[in-house]
Amino acid sequence: MNAEPLKEHLKKEGATLVGVGDVTKALTGEIVHLNRGIALAVNRSLGSETVEQLVKLQRAAEIWLKERGFRSLSIPPDSDRIKGKLIARLYKLFSHKTAATCSGLGWIGKNGLLINKRYGPKLSWATVLTNAPLKPDSPVTESLCGNCDLCVRHCPSGAVTGSIWSRREPFKKLVNYERCRSLKTNRRLFEEKPNCGLCVTICPYSRKGLSNKARSGK
Amino acid sequence: MADEAKKKEILEKLRNGVIQYDEDTCKEAAQEALDAGLDANEAIFDGLVSGMEEVGRLFEAQEYFVPEILMCADALYAGLDILKPHCKQMDIGVKGAVVIGTVEGDVHDIGKNLVKMMFDVAGFTVYDLGRDVPLDKFVEEQLKTDSELVCLSAMMTTSMVGMPKVIEKIKEKNPNCMIMIGGAPTSKELADKWGADGYAEDASNALKEAIKMVSFLKKLRDEKAARQQ
Repeated sequence: MNAEPLKEHLKKEGATLVGVGDVTKALTGEIVHLNRGIALAVNRSLGSETVEQLVKLQRAAEIWLKERGFRSLSIPPDSDRIKGKLIARLYKLFSHKTAATCSGLGWIGKNGLLINKRYGPKLSWATVLTNAPLKPDSPVTESLCGNCDLCVRHCPSGAVTGSIWSRREPFKKLVNYERCRSLKTNRRLFEEKPNCGLCVTICPYSRKGLSNKARSGK
Repeated sequence: MADEAKKKEILEKLRNGVIQYDEDTCKEAAQEALDAGLDANEAIFDGLVSGMEEVGRLFEAQEYFVPEILMCADALYAGLDILKPHCKQMDIGVKGAVVIGTVEGDVHDIGKNLVKMMFDVAGFTVYDLGRDVPLDKFVEEQLKTDSELVCLSAMMTTSMVGMPKVIEKIKEKNPNCMIMIGGAPTSKELADKWGADGYAEDASNALKEAIKMVSFLKKLRDEKAARQQ
């Protein structure tokens, strides 16, 4: 089934990137029948407006699929913050990064973030799982971080381990999240802005994205 | 009282909101029901629960899977949250309290949550102990709350073996308490052997059992209403 019309539709609705991945291997238990992952990204940081925009895009995808007789399950952008809903129990069975790598939209960087060649780690993601047999894009299976270790060197808490992601080793520890979190906690104590975000801004792929924008005159 | 056509339309909307797992529709319709002066109990049973009955059927027919069931349940709760405060306590002689939880060592609680929902709907006071609940906690909670019903759930054989201990302890202290067990490894035979009063095999069966129970309550209510007329 051709996925282009869906992608066109979602881009018209405001998605920066749309990809379709074959996620069969990443599925367990209650969701094994939903073996296509639609990865949606918008080019902005994750705030309440971004969440709203992504949820709107997910609705658009759901409706498009439903009209054609297929089922879908949306994993919301802020799935870890959704409490008190029964369906939230299933959200953690699947990660946005898996959908994105399977859809060929990027790899998981040394900083543990999904990195897209053009936009770097500056995208916000949402996923729609579906049973529609959409033609999948080819996945990204290896990291393109290469020898770059800017995020490793600049991380103020020393949380970035420097390990390199590969689809063959999905559980490799890239970031020591305990350390990352403890920095946040400390910063809160001193009433600074808790979020650090250095690993996002320092990434050369982020800056490449910026200069792209500058070149196109936006 | 709202006129019949309007009432039918609102009930249909509640029902479809659940079936289509559309939370916004359920909320909207629940508010419309209140604004139109519909009886909240009626809106719940003939609207929301009627939708869930259809969902149970779709699940059995394998048209719906677990994600859909959960989304339908969330939609039902969205409507229930609005209607519940306006409910008259159902006077059908089966009012009660229930202690429910997934036993120690088990974190699978989808079936438990669906059963809990139907108890919520039926107007029971539900003491939900959550998942991975220490065995003694069930006994304590039952004594503390004097609940008529205790529901034990497990999905793994290894955690199921804790069930007879709980049943024995509760029956020893409070022989009148009813105990229901449920989950994939349980069976009618085991329930009988351990002295449990009822059992539901898995999430779908638990939902079916609970729907059956609520439908039964509804029938009782209707019969009572008919007698009064």
